[in-house]
Amino acid sequence: MPSPEVTSQGSSDASAVRYERATKRYEGSAEPAVDELDLEVAAGEVCVLVGPSGCGKTTAMRLVNRTVELSAGDVKIGGSSVRERDPARLRREIGYVIQQIGLFPHRTIAENVGTVPRLLGWGRERIDARSEELLELVGLEPELAGRYPAQLSGGQQQRVGVARALAADPPVMLMDEPFGAIDPINRERLQNEFLRLQAEIRKTVLFVTHDIDEAIKMGDRIAVMRKGGQVAQYATPAELLMDPADEFVEDFVGADRALKRLALMRVADIDLWEAPLAFVGQATAEVREKLRDAEVPYPLLVDSERRPLGWLSERDLAAETVPARPDSPLGPLLDRDDVMRDALADLLQGESQYAAVTDHDGRIDGVLSVEIISEFLGSPRAKTEEHSAAERPQ
Amino acid sequence: MTGALLTLVPASFGGAIEFIFEPQSSSVTGGNKVGGLDQVVELTLNQLELTLLALTVSMLVALPLGLYLGHRGTGELLAVGLGNAGRAIPELGLIAFMAAAIGVGWRNIVIALAVLGIPPILTNAFVGIRQVDRAPVDAARGMGMSELAILLRVELPLAIPTVMAGIRGATIAIVATATIAPLAGVLTLGDFIINRNVYGPDGLLAGAILVALLALVLEFSLAGLQRALTSKGLKVSAA
Amino acid sequence: MNAFAAALAPPLAAVGEVGEGFFKERSSDTLPCQAREGHLFCFDWAKENIGSFGTPTLQHLEIVAISVAAGFATAFALALFAHRRHWLQPPLLAATGVLYTVPSIAFFFLLLPITGLGRDSVIIALSAYTLQIIYRNTLAGLANVPDSVRDAARGMGLTERQILWRVELPLATPEIVAGLRIATVSTVAIATLAVLASGGGLGVKFYTGGNLTFLTSIVIAGAIAILMALAFDVVLLGIQRLLTPWRRAAAG
Repeated sequence: MPSPEVTSQGSSDASAVRYERATKRYEGSAEPAVDELDLEVAAGEVCVLVGPSGCGKTTAMRLVNRTVELSAGDVKIGGSSVRERDPARLRREIGYVIQQIGLFPHRTIAENVGTVPRLLGWGRERIDARSEELLELVGLEPELAGRYPAQLSGGQQQRVGVARALAADPPVMLMDEPFGAIDPINRERLQNEFLRLQAEIRKTVLFVTHDIDEAIKMGDRIAVMRKGGQVAQYATPAELLMDPADEFVEDFVGADRALKRLALMRVADIDLWEAPLAFVGQATAEVREKLRDAEVPYPLLVDSERRPLGWLSERDLAAETVPARPDSPLGPLLDRDDVMRDALADLLQGESQYAAVTDHDGRIDGVLSVEIISEFLGSPRAKTEEHSAAERPQ
Repeated sequence: MTGALLTLVPASFGGAIEFIFEPQSSSVTGGNKVGGLDQVVELTLNQLELTLLALTVSMLVALPLGLYLGHRGTGELLAVGLGNAGRAIPELGLIAFMAAAIGVGWRNIVIALAVLGIPPILTNAFVGIRQVDRAPVDAARGMGMSELAILLRVELPLAIPTVMAGIRGATIAIVATATIAPLAGVLTLGDFIINRNVYGPDGLLAGAILVALLALVLEFSLAGLQRALTSKGLKVSAA
Repeated sequence: MNAFAAALAPPLAAVGEVGEGFFKERSSDTLPCQAREGHLFCFDWAKENIGSFGTPTLQHLEIVAISVAAGFATAFALALFAHRRHWLQPPLLAATGVLYTVPSIAFFFLLLPITGLGRDSVIIALSAYTLQIIYRNTLAGLANVPDSVRDAARGMGLTERQILWRVELPLATPEIVAGLRIATVSTVAIATLAVLASGGGLGVKFYTGGNLTFLTSIVIAGAIAILMALAFDVVLLGIQRLLTPWRRAAAG
């Protein structure tokens, strides 16, 4: 976990990256690997290049730091063309994270992280301080600084890879399936941590993946690519899920895109319905009064702290006062911060039509049902409701 | 800087070539005719025979042992250690020791040479089998092949390049040491080199040329043999 | 030379007490030990003459050191040159292979018209013998550097030269030193043949004056040669361990 008090001192402004009819042709191939790509990545944004294998997304990414040379067209970083720089010097200003990580086995973790600063001629002390800062930033214990890569786990190595890429505080980061070689549990953790990091340091990131779920999770904007590096659609995750541009994108996103959208939202994003509240010992006449215009036709029994205890039935209301024990059990109990998709799953599993939603203290906040969710998904407000990648549920 | 120099009439390549084909005589040889094709052929055949005999003995001892140990996966210390130790054996010392300890003659020289040839063959047989991809071996075992069949029909063919490299190494070492067999009474091409008083400077150079050629031809033949023995599948994957 | 004798005399004397008893029974005449068929180990002779092994040993050391150093320098340079130029690799491999295949003793004399007899020819021939193993191992070591490490190095902005010297060579060190060890041990063994080309070395204790020497001399010289080879091997292995601390860390 990055500690709040550590900030990247002197964090440079991120730069925009623009592809201008960028083309890459390989000898012996009839079709170009990347064919006249036009793409603009705004500064400070995470742009995910996603597509089937062989579509040219990795090639396109590598055009930026010239590990693959342009055949035609241009790539501009912050307005200046990459062609005008000496490749080695250019690369020292771009963070580079690859799938197999590629840590130097013969150098300690601290030395690995300090690679680019050393190339740039930083002083010893400055490099050491920066290494320490970065290791903390990516969530590694400082003792690991003196160890060798072979002594670290895969997840730890990948964190070092990210730290190494950030060392010289580059304005642009290139990440090629960086979490692909990690097991699913650690992958999720690393993704979340990277998002938290990005919320803090706001770099311009070009992120390549073949996994649409990862793209939706990580990207502020997603470029779905076809063979030849052709962009089928370049949009935010919500747009992608709601309005796929064509059949290719639709197929690639998957038939469950409605569900995928639900993963992007929390219960708190919805306007919940109100159920009439009933307190223990309250006169049932009052409760019946409330029932008349209520959105939810069932009273919810709560305690003095407004914590839900259960649902009241007709039989309960037949008595003079509200009984202490409700007729129907509470059923699924949801939290404001729950991911919408998980809330839907709970609702479908439970027997009751409605589920109570509570806040952090367990107090009633509102009521949710499947009907409410589907109504919300169809509303105009849902179409514009969008979180940046860092603020999405994880 | 140089050691005691024999006073020699300078040798020439031309003279050496002549020596190979026609018996020569000169002041150095005291007027006797030496050299010529007959003698060359005789000594060459001797050296070849010696080499092949020793090689066969080495292979008979080292191959089964190395293949077995490799298949079982044990005895690494022996197989590899012997290989390393074998490289340290001083050739001249070995011949001298054999001559002093058990005497001169064909049989003893063959033993000495075989000792030289065993380590590389043993080590390479072991390592070659060990390095075979486990997947085909497991598949074969799962299909019910006997251990011996697995070794001979799955592991050995896949290990041919490494095993052959060991045999080639042994051959080079043996043929090189067979050159000095004359020291122990077995006449090979090395006689031209060692007994240069008898054969003269032309003979000396001729001997050197012939030994070099013999070694190169042997190596070349074995390389061809290896190519022939290596299954096509392996060759394709190596390309 | 005297230090040599002083160092070895006591242990030999100790062994001698034991051995003498065993051997005394087998000898009945008053001829010196080495003259009696020469197939017994004569501890007396050893004690008295151990000093004479000093010069040949030093000569031997010198020959080996110079040959291996020259061979390594040449082969290493060749490998660096051929590292990125793949078309060069097969011909170089073949050329060094020929030099390896030609028996050293023949090589000594093939050089006869050029460098004559003596130590120079021996050193050239022995260097040539080491070329192939060092060249091949250096190339293999460089080739075995993981692609991902090379990709990361390049992508971070190291130049080709920096990648070679700061990344590839350090990682190739174990394999390079392995080749060097094999070359050195082999050279110690083969250098015994130097005597046949008037090059000195321990070989003089195996063969001198046109004859093989006797058992005691052979055994001692052989032991020295083998120990020398072992010593070189261990020292080189130690150097490799010093140069590659990360491998120890990984194993531990």
